[in-house]
Amino acid sequence: MKKAKFLSFLIAAFFSLSFVKAQTADEIAAKYVDAIGGAENWKKVNSMVQTGSMSVQGADVSVVRTVLHNKGSRQDISLMGMNGYTIITTTEGWNFMPFQGQTAPEAMTADDLKESQDELDAQGSLLDYKAKGHSVELLGKEDVDGTDCYKLKLTLKSGRVETMFIDAKTFLLVKVITVRKANGQEMEFATTFSNYQKLPEGIIIPMSISVPLGPGFSADFSVTKVEVNKAIDESIFKPAK
Amino acid sequence: MKKILSLLLALVPTATFLPAQITSSTFGMMEARHLGPGTMSGRITDIKGVESDGGKTIYIGTAGGGIWKTTNAGASFKPIFDKYVQSIGAIAVDQKNPKILYVGTGESNMRNSVSIGDGMYKSTDGGDNWTKIGLDSTEHISKIIVDPANSSVIYVTAPGALWSDSKHRGLYKSTDAGKTWEKILFISEKAGVADVEIDPGNSNILYATSWEFRRYPYAFNSGGSGSGIYKSTDAGKTWKELTNGLPKKPFGRVAIALAPSAPQNLWAIVESENTGLYISSDAGETWKQQSATSNIVSRPFYFSTLEVDPKDPKRVYRPATGFSYSSDGGYSFADASNDGGWVHSDMHALWINPANTNLMYVGTDGGVYFSLDRGATWKFCNNLPVGQFYHVSADTQEPYRIYGGLQDNGSWVAPSAFPGGVLNGNWQAIMGGDGFWVQPDATDPDFAYAEYQGGNMSRINIKKGTSVFIQPQAAAGDEKLRYNWNTPIVTGSKNIANLYAGAQYLYKSTDHGASWTKISPDLTTNDKRKQEQEKSGGLSMDVTSAENHCTIFTISESPLDENMVWVGTDDGNLQFTTDAGKTWTNVAANYATAGIPKQTWVSSIEPSKYDKNTVYATFDNHMYGDHQTYIAVSNDMGKTWMKFESKEFTGFAHKIKEDVVNKNLLFAGTEMGLFASVDGGKEWFRMKNNIPWYSLVRDIKIQEETNDLLLATHGRGIIIVENISPMRTITPEVANNDVVLLNDKPVTLTMGKYSGQFPNASGDWNGGVSSVITPIQYYMKERANTIQMEVYDKNGKLLQKLSPSNRKGYNKVVWNQRIAPPKTAKGGNQVEMAAFSAPQVLPGDYVIKMKVNGKEYSQTIKLLHDEKNKEFTIQDRELQYKTGMELYEMNERLAKLVDSINVTQTLLKKNIDSASNKKTKTLLQDYWNKLEEFRLTLVPPMMKGTGDLKRLRSDISEVYGAVVGQEARPSNLQLQRAEVLKTELAKAEQKNEELKQQFEKKVMEAIAKEKMKKAEVKRTKDK
Repeated sequence: MKKAKFLSFLIAAFFSLSFVKAQTADEIAAKYVDAIGGAENWKKVNSMVQTGSMSVQGADVSVVRTVLHNKGSRQDISLMGMNGYTIITTTEGWNFMPFQGQTAPEAMTADDLKESQDELDAQGSLLDYKAKGHSVELLGKEDVDGTDCYKLKLTLKSGRVETMFIDAKTFLLVKVITVRKANGQEMEFATTFSNYQKLPEGIIIPMSISVPLGPGFSADFSVTKVEVNKAIDESIFKPAK
Repeated sequence: MKKILSLLLALVPTATFLPAQITSSTFGMMEARHLGPGTMSGRITDIKGVESDGGKTIYIGTAGGGIWKTTNAGASFKPIFDKYVQSIGAIAVDQKNPKILYVGTGESNMRNSVSIGDGMYKSTDGGDNWTKIGLDSTEHISKIIVDPANSSVIYVTAPGALWSDSKHRGLYKSTDAGKTWEKILFISEKAGVADVEIDPGNSNILYATSWEFRRYPYAFNSGGSGSGIYKSTDAGKTWKELTNGLPKKPFGRVAIALAPSAPQNLWAIVESENTGLYISSDAGETWKQQSATSNIVSRPFYFSTLEVDPKDPKRVYRPATGFSYSSDGGYSFADASNDGGWVHSDMHALWINPANTNLMYVGTDGGVYFSLDRGATWKFCNNLPVGQFYHVSADTQEPYRIYGGLQDNGSWVAPSAFPGGVLNGNWQAIMGGDGFWVQPDATDPDFAYAEYQGGNMSRINIKKGTSVFIQPQAAAGDEKLRYNWNTPIVTGSKNIANLYAGAQYLYKSTDHGASWTKISPDLTTNDKRKQEQEKSGGLSMDVTSAENHCTIFTISESPLDENMVWVGTDDGNLQFTTDAGKTWTNVAANYATAGIPKQTWVSSIEPSKYDKNTVYATFDNHMYGDHQTYIAVSNDMGKTWMKFESKEFTGFAHKIKEDVVNKNLLFAGTEMGLFASVDGGKEWFRMKNNIPWYSLVRDIKIQEETNDLLLATHGRGIIIVENISPMRTITPEVANNDVVLLNDKPVTLTMGKYSGQFPNASGDWNGGVSSVITPIQYYMKERANTIQMEVYDKNGKLLQKLSPSNRKGYNKVVWNQRIAPPKTAKGGNQVEMAAFSAPQVLPGDYVIKMKVNGKEYSQTIKLLHDEKNKEFTIQDRELQYKTGMELYEMNERLAKLVDSINVTQTLLKKNIDSASNKKTKTLLQDYWNKLEEFRLTLVPPMMKGTGDLKRLRSDISEVYGAVVGQEARPSNLQLQRAEVLKTELAKAEQKNEELKQQFEKKVMEAIAKEKMKKAEVKRTKDK
């Protein structure tokens, strides 16, 4: 009887030591940064150009995402020979979506621009997040599509809130839920990440980014080329005349 | 010691080699569809809004559907409490920090069917995330107040357990925002605290009402010496009872309200021998009775809401059976009109927007209504799918129809699917009152059986809208018939023409209820002490058939033998016959030896379809204060029973369902969740695939043609899990493989249903679109890092790349059964459908190739033509495919032609700009102009504004889109049109050639000359 009690105590201690070690939000953020290649490598990233494609009902849509750290970001979409883009800089933002009938670029509202400022961070929000004015809070663990994840609430300096689900084993990001406010409404976007690959620069990034549209359907952005620290002509952050 | 260490070490490696576990997340991708409806909603228990945003953000607490949040004053709602207990008692918003919410679980409208909670929850982010903060054993919470002067001070009233004595009741206070709790008013284990008010001008002054009450399975009592009205002037440290002017004790339930703008004015509805409205104008020191209408004093145990306008101390509201309002401080009341539509009776919650007191929201037994005129008229919020079903049935039509009855909301029928989604208007009411069992007549799709409370059953002609009352009546020598509140009416599982109904006797009809035969003696315990329902209610009589007892509660005919019928009663008997009712065997004593309490409600019986000796049953003992999950199986016709055990189980059990294909697949519905087992009941897991984790699952059906799992939830309407076949095929053995493709069954080609109907302007609840195309399915033991999937024809030609999901467990991805869309000509900004349309493939074999983390898997999938579709024969399909492919190629030919024009034009443009010779410039420009003129006959120009211009590209796209987009033989004119366009395309190609002939040589020479000249100039300069 005594032995049995001791055994159960020992087992409990064993499990608590190895599996239930409390993690803080800070530790998880740090482990995440390590998992994606480490702070040192990421701090060297000044620009990133990701080229890839999306499939919409079998039709190919090509997408190029360019970020120049803290200066500008631009996303180009081309479909059926039409080219559209979204530009964000520290002072202005533009949208041009000819497939939606737009004939000229439209300036973003001040609110949208403010909400989008964090997209200029080419190094990722969790790197030096405190210095950037963001905050994180650990909301516990949650199962995401069968994967045990840490649930981290990231409140960005801009006020935008992202809920990050970080794989408890690999510390890679599995899913993000972003709440965006626009014109007095709140909208939720879920994005999932996979196909993590290491680049020559030592950083690790997801080459598949998927926005679920419903069971069995999703919009998938698959990255075919990543260029890090390529010289970026800042004139691309102005809308074409 | 050594032994222990080695044992521990041995534990480590086994942990890593465990076989793949089948859990809820294995099937997480089988996301449930919430059919609703929103046309009749469910019981609302509390409504609280955020004052600082003008009343746009409102939280709705429900009896069994969790909490719903709107941020647009009710235009749309979303559920925010789906991982927790679904019965909500009370909500409070900290108005100083309105992201902070407190929720008390466990409703306090103490009717027979009320559910329980597990304590208090708190959110600090407007309901996105929740933390449990104690009072776990209170079971029922009726009100929460955040001290307006100090956000750290919270008061919670706990009437406490309904079915048992409990010390976990009274008035609780927290002074640290919910971290710790102190009980500051306790009367007895029989009497809790039902209501509390705080003086907004002086937070030390509190009023509280205590309530003594108890339910038994067969009786209800409201009232006793423990009920009273109390006042504290020191924030709850000490209390004095208020009596001056109040009626003689004992009291029952007391609703109390004060005027926030003049808090010395109080109103109380006191249940007593002289139930009435009492008014005080001196902070409760003295009271005067005021005459009151029947609505003011109706069913005090059930209607305990009394509210005063936040600004106007004379405006008093009493939502009860109906809605009453007073403009003179409660001396006279008027009733709301139905000018804005019928307002559901039975009201439990009212929120008045302090920023605009004309605007208010009332919670009824049938959902939420809002008023823009201080409660005189009301409009229904038709988008809250929180209906409380008792049972669900389905027929075999296509699409199949769903039948069910709801608490206080009648009996309804709706199609399971509708193009664009099932909307409120698709639901048809076939009976009023409280609805329970609704059964389609499997022998005639025009008929169904339905009932209202107490066994009042009818045969309904759904098509004609007529009904015939068919309730079995007592014959000479019978005792008075006792029908349960939720009386079973059940059709046969073996012989679909059999119809059964149960009082204390079992009745059978073989002619749709036109005549009945009594086929049993009294199958209950017939305990007379449990049959004094006419004395039920306590201080106020409350006889509604809700307490009828010693009745038959469940009936099941064996799917293997129509002479074998099982019957369960509400007083613990479990009986069966094997000779169609001649003889009966009671096995109640046998299940009791398996650890299931005697006298429980036998809530469901499931005779196996695989073995006559096997029978499953669920037992519900919550009416004796025992909320445990009792589910058991017998493999020897009820002689011995084995109780299923699982750590996952929560809530008392309502229903066990055996799968119709895989005998090891079982489902169980309880008051707190849906559970499944894939190994015959050894292991169970909670199903969370878009199903609220603690759903009140009252009934479960499997529709055999579609393999859809149907849930009757008591708070979230009907929930459908479409096609559960993956749960049959992903057995524990299959789950041990890394990757398994699951497409071995042939798939019928289909284009789905039209979806071009008019948008749903009424904003009502949409029950979701059912999936039409069978998806490609696969299982993965672990989440994949990289995954690709491609579809090939049998000759190895790539047809489409898909976007497969990478989750652990079951996955599905829809292949639209088409090839990839054609390349279409570039130009302009007019979007053509052709770029997104492709011909559907022909029947035959196709190969799915999947690459998971670098490893390849493949499977051949067989596609079939739908032979049942007489409007679209295989010959039609072949012609459609042929024509579609011809048009497909025309799209691509045109794209090539336009590409070549674009290339030439770009070249010309470049050289026009740089040409120095004017003649050259003119020549090049001339060619460019001719090409441009020609190009704009092929594709539309860049347009400003809206345009739908007809050019060759759009002409081809139009007929192409029509031919490939429908399940039909191309029409004669479509075929002709395709030919005409083919000729036009050929002409265009010809024209391009002609222009080339005309210009190319000349242009090339001129450009070459220019180049030479430039080179010469450069050379000269260099010299």
